[in-house]
Amino acid sequence: MGYLVTLYNDYKDRADFLTVYIREAHPLDEWQMKSNVDQGVCYAQPHSTEQRVAIANDFIQRFHFPVPFAVDDMHDIADHAYSAWPERIYIIDEQGKIAYRGGIGPFNYHPPEARAWLQKRFAGTTSTATNATAAGSGNSNATR
Amino acid sequence: MKWWKWTGIILAVVLVGGYGALSYMMGGPKDVYGFLRYALPQWRDGNLKVGDTAPNVKLLALDGQTTFHLSDRVGRRPLVLVFGSYT
Repeated sequence: MGYLVTLYNDYKDRADFLTVYIREAHPLDEWQMKSNVDQGVCYAQPHSTEQRVAIANDFIQRFHFPVPFAVDDMHDIADHAYSAWPERIYIIDEQGKIAYRGGIGPFNYHPPEARAWLQKRFAGTTSTATNATAAGSGNSNATR
Repeated sequence: MKWWKWTGIILAVVLVGGYGALSYMMGGPKDVYGFLRYALPQWRDGNLKVGDTAPNVKLLALDGQTTFHLSDRVGRRPLVLVFGSYT
């Protein structure tokens, strides 16, 4: 997750980002993970939109998560359309085509691949990540 | 003993041993059950390919009320789309 935030900060002035919160991977009423218990992250699988939105907001508040955020609906439309569960990254180009299709987590989830795609796409552009950060976020409109 | 008894015993040993080995690898017997019961059925690679039109799904904003379509965010710049959950 920290990797994603860094990636977002490095490229938010050149690419749009959207996080989509989908079905919980390890809720306490399904396959709960010890690591989540240790960190006090214990949620039942949400059964209503309100519950799902509440967990998404908890997540954002706990980590001050800066990346734009959306929530999948209770029919898991986005999850099913993108075979996303439990975690996955795609990049969609300006024509609305899939330009990068990451593997399914946890084993094939590799955010550095997304960085590599962005690096290649923006190779040769004058605005480096360091310059963009140094220039401040005043002209950044990644969050729309 | 009859051959089928031996077959039964060997099968039971293989199953119990296999489950034990998986438990050891995954952290505990509960994790093997969780993996088989919850992860396997939900794990799908899907049919999308690079170059396909990105499915234009409807999404919910963080207020829990406003909806928008993915296409609203597509077209201006590349869109990095990250799916995940809290746990």
